[in-house]
Amino acid sequence: MSRTFTPLYVPTLLFSRFFGAVSLMIMLMMMVLPASMVRADARIDAANAVITAMASDMDSYLSTDAGDASARLTTVTRMLDTYFDLPTIARFSVGPYWRAASSEERQTYNETLRLAMIGTVVNNFDQLKGLTFTPTDSLSKGDNMVLVRGHFSDKSGQRSPVMVGWRVITPDDGTAKILDVEIENISMLVTQQQENLAIIRQNQGRFGALIEAMKAKQTAK
Amino acid sequence: MPCPQRQFTSTSITALLGNGLLCLFLAACSATPDTAQTDSRDPYETTNRQVFRFNMAVDSAAVEPVANAYRHSMPEAGKTAIENHLDWTGLPATTMNSALQGRFENAGLSVLHFAINGLTLGLAELTEDPREVKPQDFGQTLAAYDVPQGDYLMVPLFGPNTSRSLTGRVVDAVTNPLSLIKAGGTATVVRSLQPPARVVVVRARQFEAINDVKYNAADPYARTRSLYFQGRAGRINARVGQPTANRTSDDLFESFFEAEK
Repeated sequence: MSRTFTPLYVPTLLFSRFFGAVSLMIMLMMMVLPASMVRADARIDAANAVITAMASDMDSYLSTDAGDASARLTTVTRMLDTYFDLPTIARFSVGPYWRAASSEERQTYNETLRLAMIGTVVNNFDQLKGLTFTPTDSLSKGDNMVLVRGHFSDKSGQRSPVMVGWRVITPDDGTAKILDVEIENISMLVTQQQENLAIIRQNQGRFGALIEAMKAKQTAK
Repeated sequence: MPCPQRQFTSTSITALLGNGLLCLFLAACSATPDTAQTDSRDPYETTNRQVFRFNMAVDSAAVEPVANAYRHSMPEAGKTAIENHLDWTGLPATTMNSALQGRFENAGLSVLHFAINGLTLGLAELTEDPREVKPQDFGQTLAAYDVPQGDYLMVPLFGPNTSRSLTGRVVDAVTNPLSLIKAGGTATVVRSLQPPARVVVVRARQFEAINDVKYNAADPYARTRSLYFQGRAGRINARVGQPTANRTSDDLFESFFEAEK
């Protein structure tokens, strides 16, 4: 028996195939999306946890701070090593020149940058007194990062609240750590990177010139 | 019959002279060869660095000591009055630019604040929340119309700008209705003092931050440029209703993680 084709047969067939494909895609998305959403939620939770822990750690130190320089240095060093991803900060802060640096230069740079960061926080420590961090929300930024946003407010009310964002790296197989701080939408790490790149480029791409410039600045203080 | 030049007030003459100096400066800018540039947005880097050194010298000799004295010697009430007055004088520009950007609520609020606080010439803040008016300049208006930001320019005494923001400053200075009002001697003196007072107030407000860049950065010029671009982008984003979006950083971090894969 021969099959009769009505004029609507082809469009109906195409429609049913299209509908079938869409249904299949929706079913697949329903299976995949919850898993990725759970993963995103877990990353956000991990990022919030590291910021909460750091803020609480800093609060408890500030409440007992007597202005002792060596105690401040010890605390800042411990906090930077605990909560910040210093190796990734170092790599980001020199952009493409990281690949060109020798292993010895990389090691020296890591240590020089770490000391510069510790020095910056210790030198500005008095400005942290009286500040409280209040988180507002957290956003997933790609597969690797979460931005925890909030503001620093002054307990005495003398200083206006400052908008702050913490970029936290949230690896699947590791501990969440802080990569960057944004203050009033200005990224400290991007600023550091652009300054470093300028120094290297002014010295014909010589990575060692950056280390020399940073060390010279540290010695001058 | 008065000479036509007398129609200008001293402030508008100052603005015109300033603009003339800016034009001369721009004409003197020579492009830096690509190989010597450290940032593609800064084609006049060699000249800009020289101007930056000049500005830092002026800062060390005059602005920083005066700002420091202002911070420590001026009573809080005096500081508040001066800062309120300077903010008040910026409201006409905010009104005009908000209207040009179609932000009529902000334009209306700035008119309201200008009228109410005008009772004390802006010295006292009589409105409930002064922060509800978002300051807007003509550079932001140009950005709203997708005018490209142009090149980075370090301007003598005026500091960092892009050609778009510099145009905005010039337009805001020339079109400010307060500078066109004819007034007596005291008012003229007050108006002449506004630009230097604004410099001192801004320096005093950001005293620690500016000193940190000036004395602690390995390359203060490059750090200033980065801070300027990011801060300006934040203000432009705020104009389009995304005050917390930092697209520059987002892009840089995404590229970084892509390269690390």
